[in-house]
Amino acid sequence: MEKFLLKNIENPNSADIAEYIKTGGYKALSKALELKPSDIIDEVKRSGLRGRGGAGFPTGMKWAFAAADSKKPKFILCNADEGEPGTFKDRPILEKNPHLLIEGMIISGYALQAEYGYIYLRGEYPEAKDILEDAIKQAHDKGYLGDDVLGKGIRFYLHVHQGAGAYICGEETALIESLEGRRGQPRIKPPFPVNEGFLSKPTVVNNVETLANIPYIMEIGAEAYSKLGSPDCPGPKLYSVSGHVKMPGVYELPMGTTLREIIYTHCGGIRDGKKLKAVIPGGISTPILPPEKIDCPMDFVSMPKHGSMLGSGAVIVFDETVDLVKVCLRAMKFFEHESCGKCTPCREGVGWLRAIIERIYNGSGTEKDIDLLLEVSKNITGKTFCPLGDGAAGVVQGFIKDFRHEFEQHISKQVKAAA
Amino acid sequence: MLNERVVIEINRIKSKYHDAQSSLLPALYVVQREYGWLSPDAVAAVGDVLNVPRTTVKGVATFYSMFRHKPMGRHLIQLCTNVACMIMGAERLVDILKTRYGLEPNSTTDDGRFSLVVMECIGACATAPAMLVDTDFYDNLTEERIADILENYK
Amino acid sequence: MITVTINGKKIQLEKPVTILKAASMAGIKIPTLCHHEALESYGGCRLCLVEIEKMPRLQTSCTQYVADGMVVWTETERVVEARKAMLEFLLINHPLDCPYCDKAGECELQDLVVKYGPSTGRFAEGKRTHPESYDDPIIVRNMDRCILCARCVRMCDKVQCASDISITNRSSKSFVEPFSGGRYNCEYCGNCLTVCPVGAIMSRMHKHAYRPWLIEKEVDTVCSFCGVGCSVVLQVRGNSIVRAVPKTGKGLNKGLLCNRGRFGYDYVSSPVRLDSPLIRRDGKLQRATWSEAFIYIAGELKRIKETYGGSSIAGIASGRCTNEDNYVFQKFMRVVLGSNNIDSAAGFAYAPAQKFFERIFGQGVTANSIHGISNSDGILVIGGDPTSVNPVLGLQIRSAHQKNIPVVTIGYMPGLKRFATNRLIPSPFAETALLAALVSELKSKRRLSDEKAAFARDINTIIENIPPVSLNEAGDVCRISPSDINNTVDAISNMTNPSIIIGRDILQRSEGHTNLLLLAALIYLLNGRIYLLSELPNEQGLVDMGCLPDMLPGVRPLAVDSFRRRYDEFFGVEVASEPGMSIVEMIDGANSNKIKALYVMCEDIVFNIPNSRYVKEALSKSELLVVQDIFMTETAQLADVVLPSLSWAEKEGSYTNLERRMQMLKKAVDGKGMEDWQAIAEISRMLGFDMNYRSPKDVMAEIARVSPLHKDIAYDDIVGDGFMWPYKGEPLRHGMSIEGIDIPDAKSLLKISDNDKIYAGMENPLFYSENLSRNSSALSSISPEPYARIGKALATKLSIIDGDYVNISADAGSIELSARVDSDLPENIVLIPNNFGDKGIFNVMNWKINPVIKSFVLDCTEVVIKKIKSAAEEVLA
Repeated sequence: MEKFLLKNIENPNSADIAEYIKTGGYKALSKALELKPSDIIDEVKRSGLRGRGGAGFPTGMKWAFAAADSKKPKFILCNADEGEPGTFKDRPILEKNPHLLIEGMIISGYALQAEYGYIYLRGEYPEAKDILEDAIKQAHDKGYLGDDVLGKGIRFYLHVHQGAGAYICGEETALIESLEGRRGQPRIKPPFPVNEGFLSKPTVVNNVETLANIPYIMEIGAEAYSKLGSPDCPGPKLYSVSGHVKMPGVYELPMGTTLREIIYTHCGGIRDGKKLKAVIPGGISTPILPPEKIDCPMDFVSMPKHGSMLGSGAVIVFDETVDLVKVCLRAMKFFEHESCGKCTPCREGVGWLRAIIERIYNGSGTEKDIDLLLEVSKNITGKTFCPLGDGAAGVVQGFIKDFRHEFEQHISKQVKAAA
Repeated sequence: MLNERVVIEINRIKSKYHDAQSSLLPALYVVQREYGWLSPDAVAAVGDVLNVPRTTVKGVATFYSMFRHKPMGRHLIQLCTNVACMIMGAERLVDILKTRYGLEPNSTTDDGRFSLVVMECIGACATAPAMLVDTDFYDNLTEERIADILENYK
Repeated sequence: MITVTINGKKIQLEKPVTILKAASMAGIKIPTLCHHEALESYGGCRLCLVEIEKMPRLQTSCTQYVADGMVVWTETERVVEARKAMLEFLLINHPLDCPYCDKAGECELQDLVVKYGPSTGRFAEGKRTHPESYDDPIIVRNMDRCILCARCVRMCDKVQCASDISITNRSSKSFVEPFSGGRYNCEYCGNCLTVCPVGAIMSRMHKHAYRPWLIEKEVDTVCSFCGVGCSVVLQVRGNSIVRAVPKTGKGLNKGLLCNRGRFGYDYVSSPVRLDSPLIRRDGKLQRATWSEAFIYIAGELKRIKETYGGSSIAGIASGRCTNEDNYVFQKFMRVVLGSNNIDSAAGFAYAPAQKFFERIFGQGVTANSIHGISNSDGILVIGGDPTSVNPVLGLQIRSAHQKNIPVVTIGYMPGLKRFATNRLIPSPFAETALLAALVSELKSKRRLSDEKAAFARDINTIIENIPPVSLNEAGDVCRISPSDINNTVDAISNMTNPSIIIGRDILQRSEGHTNLLLLAALIYLLNGRIYLLSELPNEQGLVDMGCLPDMLPGVRPLAVDSFRRRYDEFFGVEVASEPGMSIVEMIDGANSNKIKALYVMCEDIVFNIPNSRYVKEALSKSELLVVQDIFMTETAQLADVVLPSLSWAEKEGSYTNLERRMQMLKKAVDGKGMEDWQAIAEISRMLGFDMNYRSPKDVMAEIARVSPLHKDIAYDDIVGDGFMWPYKGEPLRHGMSIEGIDIPDAKSLLKISDNDKIYAGMENPLFYSENLSRNSSALSSISPEPYARIGKALATKLSIIDGDYVNISADAGSIELSARVDSDLPENIVLIPNNFGDKGIFNVMNWKINPVIKSFVLDCTEVVIKKIKSAAEEVLA
């Protein structure tokens, strides 16, 4: 498949606006500005584009909700808080192809009649901040941003806002709280951000990759776009692959490529001649899968049928040497550290899960602890304020479902050692 | 408490937003860049500049893990130890920093040269393990490479 | 109409509410820990999870709104299991120190665990620990027990709007703390204590001082501190008040209190309360029996009346006493002693201001609901910081700001700093020019009424004749940029029915009468609603009971024959038509030997009036000084006879608040004094005039007959949240006229204060309330040191930093105080509170009277400030 999102990134000057324009950049914007805002929203709706942040919500529908709200001003926020461990798919766009994102945001701003956009960039990407700010300045100087976009009398201002190390701010309402200068804790929904978001005004929050798809839809049309990849969720998809594969990296592939193809066809298979032990398919908060399940197409619809989720499309591959109890423990430490502390089950329960896994890993667990893990995770599931705690509980359940024996081995090793 | 340059910078940032409190995180970054950490006095001063209650500023500043609430060494090493880095050997690097530099996580070397913070994922999983030294990014770390890199930070 | 079924019970609702609310309306209780009715939904504790048919997940009933046809179950097995799980999670870190914890017995977590379990916890690792914090004099923080429901933080942020505590850190490592991490340095409203469901934030005053189940009775009464009149519940064991707590959602304060109301009640049990009558013998006050005291007072009053006439006797009533006390007092003065020399602290500013506004706009014009403030479309505050004078009223302004209602403040108001859309701080005492400029500008922006009615014609005439003052002129005098004034003009000219909140500082001025006129013009132009800040719980009652030199009960002017005749006929006497003396005139009168006897009921005139030395000298010239009080005040120390009276918690009666709402005091404990009205009735009897009241109820029955305003009111009408204005009686329709109101000349509007001079001003801090706060160990512990507040610029000029000791001297005297440097205060003023015996403002302030308002003024004292010791030297010493 021809690359769009990662087009031209091998060019060392790809972040420069001249290079971007040379390869057809900002044409989609000119095209979009010829349309009525509502036509753009219809086009995005018809394209079938679904949000690439993890939840897979139809983008056009989100835009339509915000457009229908009469409150002013409106805001378009780019979620560049790529914090899901294993995920680094947005990074090449932010660092190598920033104008694609900027172009997508200007189009979305016009479609929503929003004059202000903010890119909420994770604090862990300091280089991306400088690159984006340079790119915004270039776009401003060329008249793509500012008081009179392309002489059409449209105003659009774009700023980069740096996060400061909080995974929860990837959740859109927490992101908004954080942008407002507050503790990044999720808000009660409804009201949804499309009606009461940033500063209580209609706000669309879209992932970097989602917004980067917008110029493509404008360019090839909704019709052609909707035929790419999986019928239920079309378009190109960025998969970030890490762990024990020969060629880890970000891959732009049609939505719905199977895990097997990703691992073996594109990434060259498991390195050092080792065997595949397990795969986390969509970032650390998606349940881990055993090798038997890697023929599953990686899209929003198929993955849940196979017991996991597409998440952010972050594939972490583990070879046979990995101690999965240790991986599970590290994952739980992450969730414990990142719990915002607002709701009881997540704040207290995830730490408890970590404590139990830690004692199993350290060799002082008992048989009963595995059941206790399942029970505690069940007590968390479905009762948390936001998906973070649910995710953590799901991860533990996932590890135990397919890799219970690894936990049991840790326990029996200790029993043997004691004997 | 804050020097004039910092106050001017914060006020410049404030103009990018519709309300002052939205500029809180960037303002705290400005202060941290200038002084290396967020002292209680600095936190209060940021509140005064933005007209945000100082206790609110404290609540916000302590929520985010990249703000520092004690003085740091001259150079801050932020080393990722999340799953992808862990399985590629990040723990070994933590050990090396301990044995070679006497640097434990959340501590500073006696000579004030380095501070170490272990991080959650920094989005460099394909080239793990990875770290930031101040704002410089390094990946594909090995025992040798990390030693060479740190030589450049005095 | 929405129909929702909860636990099989059908509930019909007009509009959607949360399931929690709907259930509670139907009498179904759903447990919660983070929800509180004073706060917005939070959804954090997850205790209120319920099962909704057709929804796969359990939902939190505090956030989920009902929809038509919804079927909800609140106690299914699944729900009960989930609750038990949440409680087990909370008990991971919450200690099981219930036997030691003060909250036990009223702990919401404890009660829920009793109901849902678990009986044992399965968490095997160690609990999070934080040392209990005793860094604060008032609040003990135990973060081991905190369950992070954030009620306290939300209360502090969204209701008290103080934002003095926050959750800090993240995840299970988060906890609640003030900025310092130790001492609070906050407004000490204690509303965080009200909402804490566990023993995490507790009152230090009450640490291990009570067990909730040992409280024997709860008495619903009214707070004794200021003119707001918050409802408060006194919890009593034996003969002592254990705690003062608010009742959630009840009273005009809706469950909120300020620090004075919550912690200050302990003056009632102060060890220095008077417990016996005292008579001066051989130059010393010595214990005497009640009858000795009464005989002495009656004999002396009789002698003085017969020798010098009734007008040689003066009486001072009290805004801390009940309507019944004050009514009996004015009757005693007028009917028994034949004197119109009756006044009180209400005469300082409150009564003259009200009289002036009622004269122009009609009676009751200041009787506006406090809740109306946050519902108006604009707020203008001048002359005092409501958040310290009337704290709970002040919260209305903060809450209005949160609703984006424009708030304009004129003057130094630290408590509203973050809440003012337009904030003007004129140079000292220069508000007159600013008000005149606002009137001039508004005249052109808001058309004067073209109504033909005499009232409109008259006020139009006044406004037309006020000399114009330009923005530049006002800016020069006030040292404010004209564009800031112009922005304020724009802000207020958009208001259609603003609340105009007026404090005494703007009236107790050499130009106080001019300010009043300008304010009246503004009020008229803006169609404003007036609120007069009131420092005393029954200041309005003083006015309504006729404790004024020129007013009879019901605020009937003495000068009007028909009113006086009615009074005379009722009592069978002939009251003089000439008005009596105001307080300051009484003091001058005593000094010039015109006043021979002074009867003071619960007012510390030596302490509360400028130039303490002069007041003392004047009082000592009188032949008889009688003081009724609960403490041995500075005034009582000079008295010939002192009668111990009862505190507010020891008696019954009614208070009238600044909204003219009448509310009941209820007796909580027994005291050793006598009710004020009763002591007066005894003396009256000895003077040959029987007052046969058995209780305040009998007094109220008489008030209902004497005061046209209170016609047909019955003591028992005053229940619950009180009896609101207008009562059943007749407001005054007489005497509305502008005749005799002087229009100021241009010169008096533009008086420029000398930039080189420094003036003393009065500070009204939140924690002080005269003798009550001075005798409350709780309130005294918050801010125990006398101080002077000095502007940053002046401090820099004099090399003064926070905590340095300064000498402040004026003609009247000099005092040494520690300095508090404040960047918002104008350069040439120093503010001093009046809470510290001989270190208060009135020890340096000069004696000067505004002849129109007939009260002392606060803008007449030049001072010299010298640094005497740095804070560092003090520490070393």
